[in-house]
Amino acid sequence: MKSAVLARYAFPSSALTLLVVLSFFLNWELLLSLDFSVVWEYREVLWRGLLLTLLLTAAAGFLGLFFGTVLAIVSQSPIAVLRWLVAAYVEIWRNTPLLVQLIWIHFALPIVTGISTTALQSGIIGITLQASAYFTEIVRAGIEAVPKGQWEAAHALGLPARTRWLRVVLPPAIRIMIPPLVNLVISFFKATAILSVLQVSELMTVTNRISNVTFKPIELFTAVAVIYFILGYVMSRATLKIEHVLQRSER
Amino acid sequence: MQFDTHQLMRHFPELIQALGVTVWISTLSLAFGIVLGAFACLGKLSGAGVGYRFATGFIDFFRTIPEVVLIFWVYSCLPLLLSVRISSEGCGVIALSLFGGAYLAEIFRAGVLAVPHGQVEAARALAVPTFHIWRRVIVPPAIRRMMPAFITFLTELLKASSLLSAIGVGEMAYRASVLGAKTLSYFEFLSAIAVLYFLLIFPLSMLARQTEKRLLRRTGH
Repeated sequence: MKSAVLARYAFPSSALTLLVVLSFFLNWELLLSLDFSVVWEYREVLWRGLLLTLLLTAAAGFLGLFFGTVLAIVSQSPIAVLRWLVAAYVEIWRNTPLLVQLIWIHFALPIVTGISTTALQSGIIGITLQASAYFTEIVRAGIEAVPKGQWEAAHALGLPARTRWLRVVLPPAIRIMIPPLVNLVISFFKATAILSVLQVSELMTVTNRISNVTFKPIELFTAVAVIYFILGYVMSRATLKIEHVLQRSER
Repeated sequence: MQFDTHQLMRHFPELIQALGVTVWISTLSLAFGIVLGAFACLGKLSGAGVGYRFATGFIDFFRTIPEVVLIFWVYSCLPLLLSVRISSEGCGVIALSLFGGAYLAEIFRAGVLAVPHGQVEAARALAVPTFHIWRRVIVPPAIRRMMPAFITFLTELLKASSLLSAIGVGEMAYRASVLGAKTLSYFEFLSAIAVLYFLLIFPLSMLARQTEKRLLRRTGH
């Protein structure tokens, strides 16, 4: 029962001690002079930034899901070279940082192709390419979870490939995939903030700009962190709900 | 265009040094993250009370906000609030430790919860002291069970460390951008660090997959 005592008293008291110690170091004068009205003042700019963040999330979600599904279908192909290419694509995009991919696409790729892209274009290309790699893995796992018997039945009935994929394999696969797909969309919601390194004008870029003009970083970054937290938290709670509903419908 | 190997070779030692910075910052953040994560995990496992609420709030908040926001918050707010000077490396380590602590807490918790309950009850029935239950009954299998998730987290941490280039920490992504701008050979340097990151992260991903397979074979489901 010692552990119960430890949990009940030791942790709260150590947390409190930490807070008290921290409060001695806090710059109270600054803390009391904080003026959050700057957030309200720039609400329209912030709102437009947030809108772009949500649009980018949607783009990563839809485009990523589309290309990911295509690649996952290719990964089931009988031609080994195609399977290898998909595997290589997925591993490369999953095992390098998004930031490096973005600056590579924005600064290095135009030197090779001769076509320079705007920050927004580079951002969308980068996040879509990475999203499709992550989506491929999830869709592939979903496809492979469909019982072999269903494939064989479709083959035995002589269904054409199109019908086999659209009517037999993908519908149950999608049901399995929904929770990880939604989680992925949330992680790309977070990842859009990385696009601020290219100055894409989404919420984080906008916040940085306002903070540079108004010299109120504490108010702005705190408010924006709270905005990101609320949206992300609502989304992850909704995912839990979806998972519960799906589990219940399976029984 | 031509691939300028000359510039790349000349500055390659600098890139390797920056790779060292990436690894060193990730290691430091990992160490602090493990300590924070262990505390938050114990707090959340306590199930109720102030410690539980504190831990849950910490975990939820730092898992939900984007890492870039956290990094900029620590960099531009924390020194003002505490009226101290913190180097950008210090800010980076603080931000990544908070991020790591929140993720590791959930990984540790999943590991502890995966330990069969009967074993803990058996130890309790035998009147084994609590400390020894943790040390001998809970922790060893919990570590084995959380290994795949832990290694996957390492890959996430290494990737997140590249974000510190935004606040001017001299790690790989930052150094490559600077060298690329100086020598006008962006393509060479950015491609080089992409390869270096891949060589650093890919083996870890493979290791995570392998430990997961071994774990599945061992626990048999």
